[in-house]
Amino acid sequence: MRPCVRLLMVVIGFAAVWCGMLPMLRRLDFVALHIERMEAGGVNPAAMYYTELDRLPVRPAWLEQRIVLWP
Amino acid sequence: MNATAIPAQRLRLHEDVVATLIGLSIVLLALAVTSLARPADEPASRARWPKGWPTPLAATIDKPQTWDSSPLEAIRDKQGRNIALPIVLGMGWVLLVAVGGAVLGGQSAAQLLPGSAAVAGLACGAYLLAAQKLVHFYNLEYPLWALLLGIVIGNVVGVAPWLRPALMGEFFIKTGLVIFGAEVLFSRLLELGLPGVLTSWVVTPIVLVVTYWCGVHVLKIPSKSLCMVISADMSVCGVSAAIATGAACRAKKEELSLAIGLSLFFTVIMMVAMPPVIDWLGLDPIVGGAWLGGTIDATGAVVAAGESLGKEAGEVAATVKMIQNSMIGVIAFAVAVYWAGWVDREAGPRQGSLLAEAGRRFPRFIAGFLLASLVCSWLFSLSPVNALWIDGTTTGFTSRLRGWLFCAGFVCMGLQTNFRELTPVLASGRPLVLYVGGQLLNLVLTLAMASVTFGWLFRKAVEP
Repeated sequence: MRPCVRLLMVVIGFAAVWCGMLPMLRRLDFVALHIERMEAGGVNPAAMYYTELDRLPVRPAWLEQRIVLWP
Repeated sequence: MNATAIPAQRLRLHEDVVATLIGLSIVLLALAVTSLARPADEPASRARWPKGWPTPLAATIDKPQTWDSSPLEAIRDKQGRNIALPIVLGMGWVLLVAVGGAVLGGQSAAQLLPGSAAVAGLACGAYLLAAQKLVHFYNLEYPLWALLLGIVIGNVVGVAPWLRPALMGEFFIKTGLVIFGAEVLFSRLLELGLPGVLTSWVVTPIVLVVTYWCGVHVLKIPSKSLCMVISADMSVCGVSAAIATGAACRAKKEELSLAIGLSLFFTVIMMVAMPPVIDWLGLDPIVGGAWLGGTIDATGAVVAAGESLGKEAGEVAATVKMIQNSMIGVIAFAVAVYWAGWVDREAGPRQGSLLAEAGRRFPRFIAGFLLASLVCSWLFSLSPVNALWIDGTTTGFTSRLRGWLFCAGFVCMGLQTNFRELTPVLASGRPLVLYVGGQLLNLVLTLAMASVTFGWLFRKAVEP
């Protein structure tokens, strides 16, 4: 089989899974609920490092009222 | 006149030096451009600029955004703007770095141009796969898809001769790592005071060292670098730690791929399973958040799991994870010194004192990574204005560029991966046992430390 034909088959395979199967799975109740909650909270679960988060983590102000940071 | 043709001498620098030069130049350029665009309006206000100053360079790079059923949705950002051009320019940055690397490394830039364009295109494809909503919100990060895409194409279609010169996977990773240094800010290490220091600085190195030692001496895994990469990604912070330590101990690409695969698989499980377990145990939100932050590998997954426990737990989890993130520099440096001074020295002929050999074998790009990290940490700590300058530079530009470079690096690694080399180790199941055993130790020690520090020892007696 020629390489371009094999490449076409790979592309079709990925397209079938990503454009067909995954959108179907995404509609399952528990998946839809998880995604809805993440979107509502502005969470980026795919962030590899803290600089990729939608909001940079900062020490919450309330924490110092509950925890002694430097005794 | 008899003119004699003098052959043009090409500059031929070592790959590590080239990666360091290009990486540091990009960081300097980004800092300079962001500084010139300093906002006139409240430049020291974190409330006004929560992610730092906006940098003009952000318009030159972006990646495909989340999409549901059509990949065409990926070229629209959250505000609905068309970002096709910044995505194409992102691929252009990959091409530019490849050409720069070729020129300084003594290769022909023209020869690798078509291949590099294909690698950049495949990196965009990997980002597109990672941006599908189900994949994105379950933390299956782009390195997995970049590797998979490379492996599938390499094995099903094959690697064409014109593509081979462009497979500069290690170079992309090294350059990305030097740029990544700008994001590794030591000043963040003290963000949660002594309880944070005890949870991160004590538990994380103990888990790392014990897991590595068990892998080498108890499970007797033949490759020390595989043990180190698995131990680091499990104990520190997943893929980014695997990349940094893998580069520091010169792990094989197959080992890095395996460690990343393990980390992402267990991250998804822990992200879903830990919040109900914390609820069931009835843990205090601060202790639960610290436990999540100290144990789940990936940063995004920590925030996602924390969010499902509530606002307080989520904020503590994200901050603890950020402290662990900042440990990458220290860990990568320690691993590079240990490898240069002990592991490599034992394997090769000894040519001098321990210090001299460690200096000779120390990977130069790790020095570049540390230099970027130290300079940015120092600038960050000088004033609130500087902190916003550094944050704007990293969140707006350098983090995006190193993402593209890592993605291109993983595509190249996938195209060159030969899993047959790892078959005997994989068949034994020992890497899996190492990861699971190390993670169990991590879970127990982090819970104990978080309970002692955040739950008891440093707890204020009277709570509001």
